[in-house]
Amino acid sequence: MTVLAVSDLTKRYRRGGKPFAAVEAVSFEIGQAQTLALAGPSGSGKSTIARLVLRLLEPDAGRIEFEGADFLALSGAALRARRAKLQMVFQDPLAAFNPRATVARVLDDPLRIHGIASHTERPHRIAALLERVGLDAGLAQRAIHEISGGQRQRVAIARAIATRPSLIVLDEAVSALDVSVRGRILELLLDLQSQERIAYLFISHDLGVIRAVAHRVVILDAGRIVESGDARAVIADPQSAIGKALVAATPRLNRNRP
Amino acid sequence: MNRLRRFFRTPEAIAGANTLALLIVMALAAPLLFPGDPQAIAGPALLPPFQDWSLPLGTDRLGRDVLAELFHGARTSLAVGLAAAAAALLIGAVVGTLAGFAGGLIDEALMRITDAFQTVPSFLLALAFVSIVGPSLGVVVAAIALGAWTGPARVARAEVLSIRERDYVAGARVIGMQPMEIAFREVLPNALPPVLALSSVIVAAAILTEAALSFLGLGDPNRVTWGGMIAEGRAVLRTAPFLSIVPGIALVLTVLGVYLAGEGVVESSAVRRSLS
Repeated sequence: MTVLAVSDLTKRYRRGGKPFAAVEAVSFEIGQAQTLALAGPSGSGKSTIARLVLRLLEPDAGRIEFEGADFLALSGAALRARRAKLQMVFQDPLAAFNPRATVARVLDDPLRIHGIASHTERPHRIAALLERVGLDAGLAQRAIHEISGGQRQRVAIARAIATRPSLIVLDEAVSALDVSVRGRILELLLDLQSQERIAYLFISHDLGVIRAVAHRVVILDAGRIVESGDARAVIADPQSAIGKALVAATPRLNRNRP
Repeated sequence: MNRLRRFFRTPEAIAGANTLALLIVMALAAPLLFPGDPQAIAGPALLPPFQDWSLPLGTDRLGRDVLAELFHGARTSLAVGLAAAAAALLIGAVVGTLAGFAGGLIDEALMRITDAFQTVPSFLLALAFVSIVGPSLGVVVAAIALGAWTGPARVARAEVLSIRERDYVAGARVIGMQPMEIAFREVLPNALPPVLALSSVIVAAAILTEAALSFLGLGDPNRVTWGGMIAEGRAVLRTAPFLSIVPGIALVLTVLGVYLAGEGVVESSAVRRSLS
């Protein structure tokens, strides 16, 4: 079953008076419990695609179908309600939260907004979510700036899964973490995927990470798709110049998909 | 605790805080030390200061106790100053947040209204407002706030413009939060520090504006105000200058105290920011 189908997605900006395409005619599909990776150098349009898919930016052309329905046709309250099923984890886990927030408040918001649990029930849900992502439930009362980067990214994942989404966009979600933390977060993501059947749109410039978690990969350059296919096959034998350059720039590729 | 210690490190902050503390004590103690109506006749008219120790600062043209008036005037000055500044900051923060967060036409409309208010001299605005609506404490507060909210609005808008591009605002949209909740619960509290830094200047200006309105006879007639006392003394400025000088000094010290204490707060929070 296709969760997300994007076709001919285009976003143009003006730079110095001249129009330039940040994303040009990009099409891809993601199936249930599948991971599609977007790879490419800086400025290739990866993050713009993430923001377009989440309707944080509006595309100039193209279609986005989410769970079989036109996602671009939604607006206002209907769009906000639909957002429950399409979540995001950001790169910088500190910038992704209100600096004044506590862990409990961060997790309470989605539960409250989407009416998932009653006021009295929410503290139990929050504790359960924290435990689900491998954190101690006692962390709930701590401020966001008091916990470590790895813990923060786990809280971000807990917030994303609070509304039981069918797709999570991970925009460089493990790039800011140190290597040992990164491995454990990736394991958590794979575990969540197999248990909750969540699809991931996984954005990264690190082909080693992509090979470990993604089923398929799309390689972008200057807003266009230059290569796509099975993640391992593409990384083992890239055809495009950009793909070759990315593989050459990745230090270790001997890791197998767990 | 640490913050308090940093605040009290500069001599300006200490002087300002002490002046403010004295003023607050004066305002709070006024009904205890001088029960009854401060506008009632207490002794012979135009008694100079330091003559009769039951009336240490003497009496005015009608024989009213100047010291009692001074204490009760502190209540009005502080109440009006703080209330007007609070109202101005509230209006400014809300308008600035709406303009900065909504953008587009709403931003244009709100900022042109802000421009319009800013081009009219704020004292003239207050004067016109009080003359039309009539002098009472609430009206004076509203009149002063009307001329003072534009500064906070501009600062809040500039801050909101930078905050609304941050990831956590995008994150709030992704979890389906309503735009108004994002604006006022997620963005506004984080835009407040630079807006609050304006508060000392606004309080000081509000106290002066209130005094000026009272001086022109547009203050609340049922309350003693320092501006009103100066106006009263003006008629006998040659024979009894102390009647204008005493409330004048109180006014200067108050504005100075508010300003210095405010500077101290800004200074200590600036240190905190550069440390973190």
